Amino acid sequence: MREYAFFLGCIAPNRYPGAESASIITSRRLGIELLPLNGASCCPAPGAFGSIDLNIWYAMAARNLVLAEQMERDIALICNGCYKSIYEVNHKLKHNDELRDGVNEVLKEIDMEFKGSIDVWHLAELLYDENIVGVEKIRESVKVPLTGTKIAVHYGCHLMKPKKERHMGSTEAPRWIEELVEALGAEAVEYRNKMQCCGAGGGVRGYDLPHSLDITNEKLQNMIEVGADAVTEVCPFCQLQFDRGQIEIEEKFGIKYDMPVFHYNELLGLAQGMSPSELGLDLHAISTEPFLKKVL
Amino acid sequence: MAEAVSPTTSKKPETPRIGVFICHCGTNIAGSIDIDAVKEYAKTLPNVAYVDDYKYQCSMPGQVNIREQIDANKLTGVVVAACTPRLHEPTFRAASKDGGLNPFRFEMANIREQNSWVHMHDREGATEKAKDAVRIAVAKAALLEDLYPKSVPVERAAMVVGAGVAGMQAALDLANAGIKTYLIEKEPSIGGRMSQLDKTFPTLDCSQCILTPKMVDVGRAENIVLMVNSEVEDVEGYIGNFDVTIRRKATGVLSPEEAEAKGIVGGGCTGCGDCGPVCPVTKPNEFEMNMAPRKAIYIYHPQVVPLLYTIDWDSCVKCGLCVEACGEKKAIDLEMQDELVQVKVGTVILATGYEVFPIENKEEWGYKRYDNVITSLEFERLICASGPTGGHLVRPSDGETPMRIGFVLCAGSRDNTGIGKPYCSRFCCMYSLKHAHQIIEKIPGAVPYIFYMDIRSFGKMYEEFYYRIQDEGAKFIRGRVSNIQEDPVTKNVTVYVEDTLLGRPMEIELDMVVLAAAVQPTELTNKTRKLFGVSCSQDGWLLEAHPKLNPCGTTTAGVFLAGACQGPKDIPDSVAQAEGAASAASIPIHKGEVELEPYYAMCIEEKCAGCGMCVNLCPYQALSLVEKDGRTVMQVTEAKCKGCGTCGGFCPGGAIWMNHFATPQIVAQIDAFLLGGEQ
Amino acid sequence: MAENPEGWKPKILGLVCNWCSYAGADLAGGARMQYPPDIRIVRVMCTGRLDPLFIMKAFTDGADAVLVSGCHFGDCHYLEGNYKAAKRMFLVKSLLKNIGLDDRRLRMTFVSASEGAKWAKVVEDVVNVTHELGPSPFNRKYGELKELV
Repeated sequence: MREYAFFLGCIAPNRYPGAESASIITSRRLGIELLPLNGASCCPAPGAFGSIDLNIWYAMAARNLVLAEQMERDIALICNGCYKSIYEVNHKLKHNDELRDGVNEVLKEIDMEFKGSIDVWHLAELLYDENIVGVEKIRESVKVPLTGTKIAVHYGCHLMKPKKERHMGSTEAPRWIEELVEALGAEAVEYRNKMQCCGAGGGVRGYDLPHSLDITNEKLQNMIEVGADAVTEVCPFCQLQFDRGQIEIEEKFGIKYDMPVFHYNELLGLAQGMSPSELGLDLHAISTEPFLKKVL
Repeated sequence: MAEAVSPTTSKKPETPRIGVFICHCGTNIAGSIDIDAVKEYAKTLPNVAYVDDYKYQCSMPGQVNIREQIDANKLTGVVVAACTPRLHEPTFRAASKDGGLNPFRFEMANIREQNSWVHMHDREGATEKAKDAVRIAVAKAALLEDLYPKSVPVERAAMVVGAGVAGMQAALDLANAGIKTYLIEKEPSIGGRMSQLDKTFPTLDCSQCILTPKMVDVGRAENIVLMVNSEVEDVEGYIGNFDVTIRRKATGVLSPEEAEAKGIVGGGCTGCGDCGPVCPVTKPNEFEMNMAPRKAIYIYHPQVVPLLYTIDWDSCVKCGLCVEACGEKKAIDLEMQDELVQVKVGTVILATGYEVFPIENKEEWGYKRYDNVITSLEFERLICASGPTGGHLVRPSDGETPMRIGFVLCAGSRDNTGIGKPYCSRFCCMYSLKHAHQIIEKIPGAVPYIFYMDIRSFGKMYEEFYYRIQDEGAKFIRGRVSNIQEDPVTKNVTVYVEDTLLGRPMEIELDMVVLAAAVQPTELTNKTRKLFGVSCSQDGWLLEAHPKLNPCGTTTAGVFLAGACQGPKDIPDSVAQAEGAASAASIPIHKGEVELEPYYAMCIEEKCAGCGMCVNLCPYQALSLVEKDGRTVMQVTEAKCKGCGTCGGFCPGGAIWMNHFATPQIVAQIDAFLLGGEQ
Repeated sequence: MAENPEGWKPKILGLVCNWCSYAGADLAGGARMQYPPDIRIVRVMCTGRLDPLFIMKAFTDGADAVLVSGCHFGDCHYLEGNYKAAKRMFLVKSLLKNIGLDDRRLRMTFVSASEGAKWAKVVEDVVNVTHELGPSPFNRKYGELKELV
């Protein structure tokens, strides 16, 4: 069993608790134990904090990192926004002495010090890494294959970009989450402008909702165009935008999609035989019933 | 260590009398350095007999003054404090020689490139540095000795590596000048990139029509020894006497001459083409940018020179059907092996050309992911009458004629993201204009969209061509394409770009996009240049001896550059440089002899213990151990020694004397710097 | 970092090869790249020419630092002189440590004929490090052990 400090973030526990429970339970079956990171705060949100005051962004993320350093465990997380903050601040502080000294000056007030002794991983990366879990092992863990479903993968921006600071290969035409989806027995469909933003990130959802929904609408259309039955992502904020966003799109533009949206770990949980209620699928804004009917 | 005495000096040492000449170089030096202070200081230095300064020391009056003062002051050495010795050492050596001094009694102090130009705002620091530089140079000059360059005969033959348009032109020029020329080409045919092009800008000549006659000339020229399917394997020697080993790759096919040599009378490949149709293996044809098939035994196209088939061993299954089809000619030998050929040449021209940057690395444009995103070289083949489609431009996805065609300029060029190339690839603007013209001409109603950063139409009649294409109706959008998306159904491609003149983002749906991909040196260039000891610049292009005044030469004497291997170049520039390189390469051959710098090593026999450590260190096998007067001592083969001094830097007994960079001379420079000046 | 004595300016000897680093330094000049003037250059045809004793001589003469700069590996005009030089520099570095000199006072770099900017950066670095280290103990005027030499 590999142990990681599980950084929950805000949206998963508050809006999609199923994504949280699914992550813990499915990972355990694949040899990953996600330990609670007690005392963790908001990551903090890269758009909201990072665009206003970088120093606050660095310091808060560093505090979360120090908590994991004290546990002597790498961090695993399930949200692209958290990934951007925690991964990137860790990277920056490790490589920039001046920045690190500045942050440690702030942390001193709460008797903390950033040492740079741990790494930060998105859970999806760990699932894909052959040395940790790997596609084969996931395929073997499947009890209820999602055969006959077409799934559109949304990567999300912060997971893949900026290219220079990421390490998951192609940023324009990646295929690795598709491989993870296909391991569950589903078909992962390619669609137009796959790497486009969900519409939520960078503070756009908070600042200009109609514009943000416009982007989401375009993405959903591109997915419908190729006959997708559901969307999957690895970020609860993208999940919120696609799920909750469909209600708002209906309100604002009068277009109704009813496209079910799943965090990848929710899909993994379904395929491993977890029940919809265990996965909290009833808490989604868009009903997952049509999809469930196809597979269960 | 410092008491070593030159093995050549038997007479008692003279008292040195050094003349110091300080150059202002207009204000280039005088602007940052207090010349008077340096001059006054130089007068106080030991062994200095005369000091002068002049506005331009390299000018005729400056040189005349050096000449006169050598005589008037009985100088034994000359120091000029001016620019870099890499620029004017030959000038001042000649002036010293004119004054009756051995030219190797001259020493230069670099107070421009390595002083006044890099300390422009520190007059005091620069002046102190100049004083030290003069002191160091005087210390060396006081110990310099007479040296005599050795003349060696020059082999009356030349070699050109790469048979694209530059290499072919260079080889033809050399051959026409009566010089036997080996033309080495790695591909099965000569012609290079130019033979893949349809039309040339701005004249719209048909590329093949002007190139093919040249190819035929090369094939026919008596003085040209054409070696296709060949690569340079090893190089030894120096200017005048390069021993080059060529690997002639097994083609599996005998030429008529080769067949005759093997006693097959009237046999050998005639290019009849009987073998191709029976070959069961089909592979993509590289010449057609993999858009047409070829067999495992193939020629690229019917106009190849030499007209000989070649076997692609990676795909040949050795079924022997071609051997049967060839019949009596007995041209095919499926067991043929690579052959190593040794040739001796006096001078060499590198013309190894360019290759297209792997533009799929710029993922946002989707090359290799989207069917209808192609490169310019693929466009050339698609629009070319002898190409895979017979000159009908079609979309790869469905074979339809595209009506809206985008051209993305600077695709991977002028790119500082670390993925592309920072330089301008120089001919993409012009050929893209030509492409725009071609589709307007060939496809009624077709519209070219040109996405550009700047249109660089720098050559003769190029700007006029640009205006012409504007008038013909091409749409110019100034902006860098950020993204291209493919419609999964229609396979049309949508280009996302900011029109920086209108200041707004745009989305344009097109039928096809042509990427004007950057160019880079070929992979083999790097290997070849190392064999010849030629440097490259940071971006991999081969480095010329001087960017302005010696663009064809390299720092290796006797090796010259032609064409795009030195940097992206269009056809006229490549040909012009080829003619320049051919002229430069023919000079030593016509002179018949060259002088080698006398910087070779010598053994100080009374100190040599015969340990032989140096023998193994020498990269040129110039050193050996011999018996002399009952002792083992080292002996230098002067013609082999290139003067690197690696042996001299190691000799535990200090028994090696490096001419012009002798241990006492270098130690004198170190001492002069650290002990000689103000502490 | 200790206060450096007033009036002291680093005495830095640069031993550079003719084909790459000297040409690179010329290129820095052509491009007017500014760097500190504390270095004095002695040109050799190849760094392979450098006898370790040259460097020891420079330090006994009171040099505060020595910079050896040649071609990149694989690019030596004489095939492999720079490899041999690099090996010797490791030897000299350990010698320096043995006699109690900070081995950062000797630096070997590889600057090609096209790397003018790198040359300027290298010199600036060497000057900065020398300032950090202060005068060599054997510096003829400012060194703590000047009486010994």
